[in-house]
Amino acid sequence: MSGMPAALHSASLAAEPLLEVRDLTIRYRQGDRRITAVRDVNLSLKPGGALAIVGESGSGKSSVAGAILDFLGPAAEVSGTILFEGENLLGLGATPRRNILGRRIGAVFQDPFTALNPALRIGRQIAEPMVQHLRLPLPEALRRAENALHEMGIERAAEVARAFPHQLSGGMKQRALIAAALACEPPLVILDEPTTALDVTVEAQILRLLSRLRRDKGISLLFISHNLGVVRRLCDDVAVMYASQLVELGNVRRVLERPTHPYSKGLLASRPPLAAAARSNRLAAIAGQMPTSPEPEAGCVFAPRCPFCEPRCTAGAQPLTMVGEYQEVRCWKSEGLAAWPPQPAAAVATPHFHRGDALVNVTRLSKIFGGGAGLPAWRLSLAGGRPRLYRPPRRIPAVNDVTFSISPGEVLGLVGESGCGKSTLGRLLLQLLRQSDGSVEFDGADVARLSSRALAPFRKQAQLVFQNVGSSLNPRLSVGEALSRPLALFNLTSRRDRIQRVEALLDMVRLPAAYRKRFPHQLSGGERQRVAIARALATEPRFIVCDEPVSALDVSVQATIVNLLADLRDQLGLSYLFISHDLAVVAQLSDRIAVMYRGRICEIGTATDVLAPPHHPYTRMLLASAANDEPVVEPIAAGVAAGPQTGCVFAARCPHKIGAICHTTPPPVKALSESHAIACHLDIAPSTAPTPVVVHLDAQRAAI
Amino acid sequence: MVVPLTDLVTDLATDLPIDLAAAPDIHQRRRLPASLVIGGLIVLTLFTAAALAQWIAPYPYDQMHIRDRFAPPGWHYFAGTDEYGRDVFSRLLFGSQLSLALGATATIIAMAIGVPLGLIAGYRRGWVDEVIMRCLDVMLAFPPIMLVLLILAVTPPSLVKTSIAIGVLAVAPIARVTRSVTLDLMSGEFIEAARARGERLSYMLLRELLPNIWPVLMVEASLRVVFAVLLGAVLSFLGFGVQPPAADWGLMISNGRAFVDTAPWISLAPGIAMSITVIGISLVGDGLREVLDPKLGAGR
Repeated sequence: MSGMPAALHSASLAAEPLLEVRDLTIRYRQGDRRITAVRDVNLSLKPGGALAIVGESGSGKSSVAGAILDFLGPAAEVSGTILFEGENLLGLGATPRRNILGRRIGAVFQDPFTALNPALRIGRQIAEPMVQHLRLPLPEALRRAENALHEMGIERAAEVARAFPHQLSGGMKQRALIAAALACEPPLVILDEPTTALDVTVEAQILRLLSRLRRDKGISLLFISHNLGVVRRLCDDVAVMYASQLVELGNVRRVLERPTHPYSKGLLASRPPLAAAARSNRLAAIAGQMPTSPEPEAGCVFAPRCPFCEPRCTAGAQPLTMVGEYQEVRCWKSEGLAAWPPQPAAAVATPHFHRGDALVNVTRLSKIFGGGAGLPAWRLSLAGGRPRLYRPPRRIPAVNDVTFSISPGEVLGLVGESGCGKSTLGRLLLQLLRQSDGSVEFDGADVARLSSRALAPFRKQAQLVFQNVGSSLNPRLSVGEALSRPLALFNLTSRRDRIQRVEALLDMVRLPAAYRKRFPHQLSGGERQRVAIARALATEPRFIVCDEPVSALDVSVQATIVNLLADLRDQLGLSYLFISHDLAVVAQLSDRIAVMYRGRICEIGTATDVLAPPHHPYTRMLLASAANDEPVVEPIAAGVAAGPQTGCVFAARCPHKIGAICHTTPPPVKALSESHAIACHLDIAPSTAPTPVVVHLDAQRAAI
Repeated sequence: MVVPLTDLVTDLATDLPIDLAAAPDIHQRRRLPASLVIGGLIVLTLFTAAALAQWIAPYPYDQMHIRDRFAPPGWHYFAGTDEYGRDVFSRLLFGSQLSLALGATATIIAMAIGVPLGLIAGYRRGWVDEVIMRCLDVMLAFPPIMLVLLILAVTPPSLVKTSIAIGVLAVAPIARVTRSVTLDLMSGEFIEAARARGERLSYMLLRELLPNIWPVLMVEASLRVVFAVLLGAVLSFLGFGVQPPAADWGLMISNGRAFVDTAPWISLAPGIAMSITVIGISLVGDGLREVLDPKLGAGR
């Protein structure tokens, strides 16, 4: 962090800014209409500085980056000036601009999985900009590419340079992309949500890499993100965008610790803390929805959602004004504004669960995926004289010997990184996949033994809510049709009462009854998720598998959906299997938490047990990454080959490995208390456990 | 189900739970794409002409005017006359009946067989998929003209049989398109939600999948009509389709071949008619795809 807090677009700048955005306005033509995505944005970034633009989707933050990179396409009308190294980018022709991109400005985007060309070797893709811009001969560029990979903290750089993208993990790909962006040593790198698609542990590594590169090479960063926590570690300054405008900007610590604009306050307050929550606890939430084409002339754009709103707020355009020394805010009453109002706690008694009367009982459940189906899975072997057709036994254990139970009305959180088998486990519970071994009992009956006809009552009682709000609703069915189908299928209401029931369901998920006639594309992401929840509720289930239901949503929307799920849990006595990669969200909703790694549960216990030491080493790593404040031990090899596993699944990444025993012998499951169990060779007891990670409420939350 | 436009607008205006701008496609009247309008006009004109051929044709298609053989296009004969003095324009009108009937029936037959096969293959996967697709591969392996000729050669030619032969030929491509779109949709979570409710096969195929495949099928169908019309003409040209003296575009082109130097209009007129038909139907297919896309103009 540089010592001097950067003043943004003020006259007191000591150094000439590297990048200066003045009065940037971006409008998109849509038919006859103009939609304003960015309005009068002023930003400046000095050499070596790091500026974050934070906002929810649709706030215009990516359009700002797009304007600098010239990625907006012909439908965008851009006005204002973008001064980069003293030159107005918007006044340049296509060719000079292209020469600046890649050479003077590097860019890294959100999705490392599609950003690399699958047909080219990694080294070649990093070398390409050097050949293009620096006119280096290819062998020299390839050699430099290898060095660049090494600089990104990749150990076997030569090997990785010769690899194809599909051979690398997501984190490795993102490192390669950062290496490519830095290939020509540009003074400015623009990062658009570079860690959003990655697991928390990988995210922590990438952030550390970026801050090291910034320190060592003096690169300036323009960092676009929706995640305030990520920004805190990396940037000096932050600009908060809402509905096309900057609403607050200033030093990162000041803005995060003492936010002055109501929107910043709300955004910070709606992040769940990394701590077990009482059943009555609800997250602070911002009511309403962001307008898509706001009119700031008619007053503050945030006014309709602001709890502090009064008539003067909507009397006219709100200017950005200085508050304190290095902070600007677009709110006239920011001075002495109270904290964002917390959500009132729900009136619920803390239930007690008895392990005896479980609703869902999973015993030694395993799922092994075979080597695919159909003819392509067969191989022709010419070895041993005679040609022979065979099917290679590719056995990939996705879920491996998992045992747990869920009581009626209880929420079990399931945490793990992508690919750990948590979604497969959810599908097994609902019998959308058949298990390879073990059993799933629902309400005392072994569901795997039921015929598909006898499965109907189970289907009615066990439902599913998904992650992908884009594809969870059939685009051709209106909300009303989608919600009345389960009613018709299970004969729950007479045809006459169906519309009333649909409206009641919509009301349950806090949507107006008129939404019955809408189609999915007319709904926002949060609204679609509400409809998907209503559809699951339509069958009057007792158990719902929630598979990452909030990970695709913005923080403020996420808080309202988590609250909704908590309300429904308490009102209807529902049990959830709540699957997520985000420990904080899981902790908010769950009575118990299971931590999963590569098909196995390595720790299970009440939310308080799991979040407090002693931890399984993997839980500890997850907590440290989420808390964002402690170096995480880098995995020795990302994507370890799925060979035969005899020992602990986590051994290859474990920083506390005690020796060969970890690789050869399956870890014993140690019960630390009646409710808490850890599978580890370490002598885990409160006294000898690895140094505890202090899980404090995020600093910024405590300050609000 | 189509929600009346006005309903949605009033809903929006009364509740205003979100601002109107969020759903620009509902309060803006949806404009038809130009391709649909132009193509639609062409196809409509063709169908009207075909339907009314008896009444609007200046002469019967087989009436010979011996004195006016090889008359060039003019006031009496819009498109001239052929070697028997038959009015080319009248023959064109009657010929359009045959071409359009052939295109439509062949396509309907192909869709009726190909769409269910593709749906089931894509939904069931596994061995069902293998069996269906390998059988279709066998059909694809035959050169198309050969296959049709094979069917027509063993029995006397007729319009119905030609339609069936051409229709069967188009089953494989339609099934393949249906299957690939189905496979794509199967990864959608709404399919998994339906499975979690324990939906029947028929509901899955007809309510969840088919409406989403429809736009792609419309484009494919328009292509198939075009191919059928062209293939029908080729068969007539080769003498395996409609038999003289029936008026058929392919037959007319074939007959006029001998007189291309002296009376080019005999072949040219049906050729132009066929081009216009093909362009019109293709435009309709393109336009339909845009109109049927529910996300059109939604901007997200």
